[in-house]
Amino acid sequence: MLWKNTRNEWIKITSKIRSYLGIGALTVLIVVVQVALKADGGSFISYVTASFEQTLSFNGKILNGNLVAFIVLQMLIVHVPLLIALVTGDLLSGEEAAGTIRMLATKPISRTQIVLSKWIAAALYTFVMTAWLAFLSLVVGKFIFGEGDLIVLNSSGLNIIASDDLPWRFALSMLIAFLALLTVSTLSLCFSAFAKNSVGPIVATMAVIILFTIIGTLDVTVFDAIKPYMFTTHMAAWRSVFEVPLPWDAVWESIVVLLVHIVVLLGITILRFNKKDITS
Amino acid sequence: MALISVSNLSKSFGNFKAVKNVSFEVREGDVFGFLGPNGAGKSTTIRCLLSLIKPSGGEIEFFNQNLASNRNAVLSKVGCIIEKPDFYKYLSAYKNLEIFGRISGKDLSKMEIYKFLDFVGLTGREKDKVSGFSHGMKQRLGIAQTLMHDPDIIILDEPTTGLDPQGIIEVRNLILRLRDEQNKTVLLSSHQLSEIEIIANRMVIINKGETIVEGSVQELLEKQSLNLQINVMNESIFESTLLQSFPELKYHKVYPHNYHVEMVSDTSAQLNEKLVNAGAGVKSIVPKRSLEDFFIKMTEK
Repeated sequence: MLWKNTRNEWIKITSKIRSYLGIGALTVLIVVVQVALKADGGSFISYVTASFEQTLSFNGKILNGNLVAFIVLQMLIVHVPLLIALVTGDLLSGEEAAGTIRMLATKPISRTQIVLSKWIAAALYTFVMTAWLAFLSLVVGKFIFGEGDLIVLNSSGLNIIASDDLPWRFALSMLIAFLALLTVSTLSLCFSAFAKNSVGPIVATMAVIILFTIIGTLDVTVFDAIKPYMFTTHMAAWRSVFEVPLPWDAVWESIVVLLVHIVVLLGITILRFNKKDITS
Repeated sequence: MALISVSNLSKSFGNFKAVKNVSFEVREGDVFGFLGPNGAGKSTTIRCLLSLIKPSGGEIEFFNQNLASNRNAVLSKVGCIIEKPDFYKYLSAYKNLEIFGRISGKDLSKMEIYKFLDFVGLTGREKDKVSGFSHGMKQRLGIAQTLMHDPDIIILDEPTTGLDPQGIIEVRNLILRLRDEQNKTVLLSSHQLSEIEIIANRMVIINKGETIVEGSVQELLEKQSLNLQINVMNESIFESTLLQSFPELKYHKVYPHNYHVEMVSDTSAQLNEKLVNAGAGVKSIVPKRSLEDFFIKMTEK
């Protein structure tokens, strides 16, 4: 029954216009960034490398598909949660608002299975969004800008990663990005179990992300104890994959924190939905 | 055999007791009327029966199985419409039935889904999105949805609310077909008391969350006095005939030439014969006994 309802949930997601808004917005944003970089990428690169020009000499094609993909990911990974919450925040509350929850909850399927099937469908949608983000930024980026080594400036300094060392790093970064986005999906699904319309869960999800991000960037010692446990701290963990050497401990820590968040939030959703009186 | 057995069912929302120790039985083959004024606790009771709401106390059994511990097995044999059937508006009628059929425990072929759409008169509308359906069409689609997994019991909560007269007739006829052609046991809650009188064989009346009376519709009606609305041409002959031949009858004039007569037992045929023979000029005799009167009397207690 779980898989039958998961199939139903996937049909519902793919039949709603709002599910394509995110994919459409993502496509437009990435294309706009790529066109802008194609048109004026040279000045952008010069601006970034200006501070190194006295000590380093850059040869070769710096503005390549890999760098463009990295720039796109960095710019958009913050905004994709909103596009995903738009769909996943509606999964339970949307049924409540439409009244279909009554029909669904009187079928011979347990409420736990209803939540799990919605979560699996949400995970699938999140995966599709992540994969689309990867395809547009990396595959299309390489098609337009070509292949080349990736130059990344991060906390450990300037890293130059050879192009043949990049595919697995991009794959791992996408996996971590997927986990981060799945945490957001699960959070909005959790809020959805408490709400009677989809606006509340979407706004609440974004409010939590913004609040946690602000706390994460505030250099105040009182927050230092909780920062390592906030999922927003680990949403940017995909960037660690482009450090040399790769900080495996930090990457694993991020993966574990995100997974724990997913499990706890899903557990809360199941508990809440099982205890809920459906009166709509 | 009782297919549904409800014992001392209670449900509270905070301090408000919506249902207080309600008990009744629905037997195999019944069309069971579930009556009560607004706020009586009908919908809350039905939602408890379908596990949408967790009861605060009492027992619910379907097929001699406890609902709480056999929820999925029980619900696989129950079809329902709660208040109004709500569907996924962005999907077609066919797709909605396919989705609900898939989780009702029975995989339906395309032909079977078309058969159910035909049963409720929606042939030709299967590919139309539900967003374009009228309330009556949704109600009929709702009935198709309840039948897909061939349930033994069908629970319909206020199925004619909001329908126009034509829609009420269509849904009522569908319910009668469920009873007559498919031998379904139906639990029907409705404000249309005349509907219950026509369709149901047994009923329970609840008010303010409590059971008022339960029993056979026929037996409960027989306990009620029969009222006649009589229209005559000659008032003096009418009154003298009643005084002479039927002194036990109570009557009063409603308006000129129209009388309301209250009978203890049904002697309307004899009364009609006497009045005609006496030359009272009987234009009409309309029996006024109804569940409506009964319902009002019972809930006024």
